[in-house]
Amino acid sequence: MKRTIGAAVILLGAIAAWPTHVPAQQPFTTVAAGVNKKMVKLFGAGGFKGLPSYGTGILVSPNGYVLTVNNHILSTSDLRVHLYDGRFHHAKVVVKEPELDLALVKIEGEVEGLPHFDVDKASSQPLAGAGDWVLAFSNQFQIATRDEPMSVQRGVIAAMTELRGRRGIFEAPYNGDVYFLDAIACNPGAAGGIITNRKGELLGILGRELKNTLTDTWINYAVPIQAKADIQRGDKSDTVSLASFVRLGIEGKYKEGEKRKLVDKGGYHGIMLVPNVVSATPPYVEEVMPNSPAAKAGLQPDDLIVYVNGELVTSIRAFRELMKHFGANDKVTMEVQRSNKLKSVKLELTEVPKLTK
Amino acid sequence: MHRQRSLYILAALVFMPVCRLSAQDINDKVELAMKQAVAKAAPSVVQIVTQGGADMVVTGPKGPAFRKALGPTTGVIVGADGYVVSSAFNFINNPTVILVAVPGKAEPLVAKRVATDRARMVTLLKVEATGLPVPAFVPRKELRVGQWAIALGRTLDAKRASPPSVSVGIISALDRIWGRALQTDAKISPVNYGGPVIDIQGRVQGILVPASPRGDGETAGFEWYDSGIGFAIPMEDVFAVLPRLKQGKDLMKGLLGVRLASQDIYGAAPIVSDVVKDSAAAAAGIKAGDLIVEIDGKPVVRMAQILHILGPKYEGDKITLKFKRGNEVIAVNDLELVSSLKQFAHSYLGILPMRDDPKLGVEVRFVFPKSPAEKAGLKAGDRIVKIGQGKTMRPFSGTKSGRDELFDFLNVQSPGTELQLEVVRQDAKDKKTDMLKVTLDRLPGIAKAGQEEIPTKLPEPASHKKALAPLETTNPNIKPPKIDPGKDKPATGFIKRLATAGGKYWIYVPEDYDPNIAHALVVFLHPPGKHGDDDTERFADAWADYCSDNRIILLQPTSDKESGWGPGDMEYVLETVRDVTSRYTIDRQRIVAHGLGVGGQMALYLGFHARDLFRGVATIGAVATQMKDNVAGQRLSFYIAGGDRDPLIKSIAEGRDKLVQRNFPTFYREIPNRGREYFEEAILREMIRWIDCLDRQ
Repeated sequence: MKRTIGAAVILLGAIAAWPTHVPAQQPFTTVAAGVNKKMVKLFGAGGFKGLPSYGTGILVSPNGYVLTVNNHILSTSDLRVHLYDGRFHHAKVVVKEPELDLALVKIEGEVEGLPHFDVDKASSQPLAGAGDWVLAFSNQFQIATRDEPMSVQRGVIAAMTELRGRRGIFEAPYNGDVYFLDAIACNPGAAGGIITNRKGELLGILGRELKNTLTDTWINYAVPIQAKADIQRGDKSDTVSLASFVRLGIEGKYKEGEKRKLVDKGGYHGIMLVPNVVSATPPYVEEVMPNSPAAKAGLQPDDLIVYVNGELVTSIRAFRELMKHFGANDKVTMEVQRSNKLKSVKLELTEVPKLTK
Repeated sequence: MHRQRSLYILAALVFMPVCRLSAQDINDKVELAMKQAVAKAAPSVVQIVTQGGADMVVTGPKGPAFRKALGPTTGVIVGADGYVVSSAFNFINNPTVILVAVPGKAEPLVAKRVATDRARMVTLLKVEATGLPVPAFVPRKELRVGQWAIALGRTLDAKRASPPSVSVGIISALDRIWGRALQTDAKISPVNYGGPVIDIQGRVQGILVPASPRGDGETAGFEWYDSGIGFAIPMEDVFAVLPRLKQGKDLMKGLLGVRLASQDIYGAAPIVSDVVKDSAAAAAGIKAGDLIVEIDGKPVVRMAQILHILGPKYEGDKITLKFKRGNEVIAVNDLELVSSLKQFAHSYLGILPMRDDPKLGVEVRFVFPKSPAEKAGLKAGDRIVKIGQGKTMRPFSGTKSGRDELFDFLNVQSPGTELQLEVVRQDAKDKKTDMLKVTLDRLPGIAKAGQEEIPTKLPEPASHKKALAPLETTNPNIKPPKIDPGKDKPATGFIKRLATAGGKYWIYVPEDYDPNIAHALVVFLHPPGKHGDDDTERFADAWADYCSDNRIILLQPTSDKESGWGPGDMEYVLETVRDVTSRYTIDRQRIVAHGLGVGGQMALYLGFHARDLFRGVATIGAVATQMKDNVAGQRLSFYIAGGDRDPLIKSIAEGRDKLVQRNFPTFYREIPNRGREYFEEAILREMIRWIDCLDRQ
């Protein structure tokens, strides 16, 4: 009797020491198996200039609509889709939205009852945040074909912030907030793959391979399923959500937009900067035009402009790009360094003064 | 029975939470604990913003071409009164402005660099503030392999109010990088260099830095970013050195000052091959051939063990050491480590020799004003035929040119040495010789920064035009090196060639090229984007007359990379140099790497990394960083120029000072009313005279 109890205690002790390892893996296994059935491998154009000819997508309807990234592999008349069970189909692009960097593809022929993600439902969930554990699924490096499952990676959301392509610092295919990941998930062929939470619920679409010139490192990111983008249709501007793109696309009602162009609003500030001699000349003020908004705000020669409306300006070029966003009557707060102190000044921009005779 | 029941209860207590929690719940708890840990540490994690500084910094022989990114970086508060630490990597480009954004404070604060721990590559900053939150830290003895390690950064999100970015891993190893760092598999990169790695209770384990066991300096290990191999300096060690860093003086690694016989640090026994003058090892009386057997009471049988014991130590730290000489074991106590090994300084006689002269000895072409040679009464036209110390007079042998023999002799003499020169005067009858006494000086440009003067006019001719003639010898057994004059007359003019890997390069050879005159070789590294055929031709046109007048061959390798040159281009550039030296008669003492902006950074890189080839580096608008030590046999001179409107001018001047500290002969030219553009004529002429002086002795 005594011996049995002793053994039981030892056994229980052993189990108690385990929980963070063994049982924790089981739900990931179940989740991975479930998610994998809703994903497809795409094969299309590429194979040259280091561009992969393969990619990843997800099923978003039971009858074979696939959501994937709007990249080069779709530029082919011979697009093929491999389902989780090894079936393969030809497919056609239905509609694209460059501002979301997404495309909707339809499997050709009759398919029914496919496991799929409900994008509407996923997009009604709250956004995830920094520190949330995620799983990333994709066919990176074309490791899987036919019925082989996707690669699954575990990581956390490193940050939720804008993909900083907007201020002309570097080109990014999508301009809104994205999930930055600490897993090295954005590899060749991974774009169009997904991240889910630990329960397998869809959180976002993996982006392309992209280098962040602010840190000189490769970025691993996913576009949230709640994403929205500003688009232009003729002379009308509109905001579309990822979910509405999928829904209207399936219904055949989505009309592709044009890229909204950045118009230089050309507000006048009256700051003359030092000559722009190198690629990253700091924006030092050389001269302030008399009676200009800058003069009224008290800017002085030799002030160094560090922030504009909280946005770091690293060079004269960045300053000029940034100022294009502001027009007459816009209020701009600048933080400038003057004799080792940081000083905040407020400018109210005006129209560019007309030359008087 | 009573005892049995209590055992059951104990078992239930242990077991119950496990039964109740599903695996998802456990993950929920861990995830929540991590978020709480991040939230706890977050107020102490600051964003650092810099402006200005160098455009490009090169990382290492095989490191990536590296442009210091302009984005924000990360730091950790270590003093409530405004002290912040960060990775020294974040300041390698020597920024002119540093701002620290403390979470919860609306305005960023202007920061000063207080000091850098050069052994651990951590920089201390100071801002004017009080009441800042200092985080708790994990004592070294509590650090364990396998503990959660959560890396935080403030780089991804420019918005100051956002939470820090997170990467989760574990501690992979302790005592890495010769005992200085812990290792983690969290993703460590410029996204979080300078930030903390914290445990699951939110206590700081260490400060994230790039590091490599095979290199020193701010960028060593950068090539491992996001690889699953990341390093952090344990926080206890950071706090331990804070009082010393606050003094404002950089902390240097403690050095012993021995070179070992074998390069194999893991295999061979630590037998000393060389002891550096004035080092700790010299003070201990260690000599070549001694075997180091014990340091700080720990027996050592390999170099790697010595590195492990000395790795964490600073300048001024004391060690005990035992070494074996023959059968005798000698013990030394309280041996103080030094910060830097004494930098070699070249000695200086003060003459320019005549070139391409096959005769024995050295004919003097020019005597520098105020030099030891002038004081000794040496005159242009004199021929030095013997040199001696004390009573032994040493004749020239003729194994190489007299000029190069004199180089070999003077390179091993210390400044201050007294010598005798036996000279034949230009107008002497019957080869009568004079004896001159001379005290060697230091090569100018190293005693006082920027004090070096380049003569405004140098006498011509500079050459006897007998570069291909056999050398005169004193000993019939010595066979002079054979020189192949080549059958065909080499091509002249503007010549386009292709390297093996396909890169094209251009050579400009003066039309009146004479293979009997050794030519200087100038390797020009263009600024980014200026690699078109018309760019290179225009440049060669501007140089054509100077090339002809001054016997210079101009080589222009090209790089079509948008960001310009990087260390990866070195092999290609060296191939082009070797191609030219194999075709034309090139003076090995006057091969110069020359460049503007990023091209200038590459010139500096080439100078330090291909020292067997380059004897001079001439730059405009480039900052000397990542420098190596001055060595006797591979003299390297610098011509550092910058426009006074170049925003980097301060850093350029500081780079000059650092070269001077290392005893590199350095000429500095600040050009008024200029930014970063190529020389105007007067300054180009000056640089060409500097090239003409590269073989001064």
